[in-house]
Amino acid sequence: MRYLTIALTKGRLASQTLKLFEKLGMNAEEAEDKHTRKLIFEDDKLGIRYFLAKGPDVPTYVAYGAADIGIVGRDTILEEGRQIYEVMDLGFGRCKMCICGPKSARKALVSGDLIRVATKYPHIAKDYFLNRKHQTVEIIKLNGSIELAPIVGLSEVICDIVETGATLRENGLTVLEEVCDLSARVVVNQVSMKMENERITGLIRSMKEVL
Amino acid sequence: MKNLLIHTPEGFRDLYQDQMKRKRELMNGLHQVFERYGYADIETPSVEYFDVFGADIGTTPSNELYKFFDRDGNTLVLRPDFTPSVARAVAMHFHPEDKPYRLCYQGSTFVNSREYRLNLKETTQMGVELIGDGSVKADAEVLDLTVDMLKEAGLGEFQVSVGEVDYFKALLEDSHLSQETAEDVRKLILNKNFFGVSELLEGCQIDAGIRRAFVEMPQLFGGPEVLDRAEALAVNEGSRDAIARLREIDALLKKSGNSAYISYDFGLLSKFHYYTGIIFSAFTYGSGEPVAKGGRYDALLGHFGQDAPAVGVGFSIDQMMNALSRQK
Repeated sequence: MRYLTIALTKGRLASQTLKLFEKLGMNAEEAEDKHTRKLIFEDDKLGIRYFLAKGPDVPTYVAYGAADIGIVGRDTILEEGRQIYEVMDLGFGRCKMCICGPKSARKALVSGDLIRVATKYPHIAKDYFLNRKHQTVEIIKLNGSIELAPIVGLSEVICDIVETGATLRENGLTVLEEVCDLSARVVVNQVSMKMENERITGLIRSMKEVL
Repeated sequence: MKNLLIHTPEGFRDLYQDQMKRKRELMNGLHQVFERYGYADIETPSVEYFDVFGADIGTTPSNELYKFFDRDGNTLVLRPDFTPSVARAVAMHFHPEDKPYRLCYQGSTFVNSREYRLNLKETTQMGVELIGDGSVKADAEVLDLTVDMLKEAGLGEFQVSVGEVDYFKALLEDSHLSQETAEDVRKLILNKNFFGVSELLEGCQIDAGIRRAFVEMPQLFGGPEVLDRAEALAVNEGSRDAIARLREIDALLKKSGNSAYISYDFGLLSKFHYYTGIIFSAFTYGSGEPVAKGGRYDALLGHFGQDAPAVGVGFSIDQMMNALSRQK
């Protein structure tokens, strides 16, 4: 039997996904061991193998068919914009994509001025401001600690994921507008969905059952 | 900068020696299948007026077309797809009495997609258009040809997934959903979002039967038994007609012995708006994207001034080559 290959997102999503795998009767112990140097894990009984990858790479593995299935946040799916099936909302990893900044930036958001937006998600930010708000903005791509940008004057606002809002509050920032809801999703390669229909559909159904 | 002289632009490539030889052999073999089915070659220019691929014909988005101007200031494009070009040529040169026409083509298509995923921007396509025959026999002929082409190419396991756009269209018409919600439903079904449609339609004013059909559609794919499931969900005449048509096609394919390669998928809703009846894609291991796409487009020729039903299929030679080399 051909292995079904699953790409998991490293980090917070991974531990929750592995718990889900255990409920499905998969052996996830090896992957949970933080000191392991193995890159790919197999469950011969179920004919499944899986690996951990950086978030933005998961849709890439799936789009090319190197992985049949991926578990990834909706933020990454929207940002990467690849042609993959988004079959299920796993419901965990819930958070929101928001426009944040100091309270004083609220004015800039309604005035229609050319403002600067710092973000790790340039596509999502661009789509929100151009297509939904019809506002011209300058997008500044950053790779981390986005909250810094308005504090040091790199940008007026930021577009970032907000879970509890604690980091924002500690730095004198607040949520100004909500862009969309996010959570972990199951994505599937278009060809795999057809060629391995029964196994993939079965797996998705049993995931839904144990959720 | 110093190497620009010997490099090709991104998305374009040279092909030579072994790879070129394999491509040539593949295309020669495939062309023989076209001849066996009685299709005659047609050549259309690489460059067309913009309107041939315009928004009302609904093919490639305008921002993915290579555009430039002629001396009079008209907008020209490099063809992104053969079907509208062939339809235009037929409307211009062919006499309606001579129908049906069986035409085949091969050549480059150009899509300036902004993503740097998988894509070559210039790809080689081969395909056929069967124009002037609206019968299920014509649908089955093109599906048979598709299966024979993939066999000829030497692909081991492959599947041709067939859908019917009228099934969804008919249900949508009776659903009275707002245009916005309808578009969301279409996207969720296209994305095979198993549980998203039921969440979206929760609290929507919609006929219970149509709701059930929409909720099931993302999972409405598989072998011929899917036709039974789809029929049980078909609550209006249009959707029942679509099923009846697929059943006739299924019977014809059983006769030709190709039904083992066919599966059905009611969630197959193309972004090309010109499709009107069956729509299909061919999949195989080793290619992350379909190796062939086709369908019926009865309204397209009308745009060019000659009303005629038509059905066709296009094969991506580059995707086929990828699949062939990775399946070894």
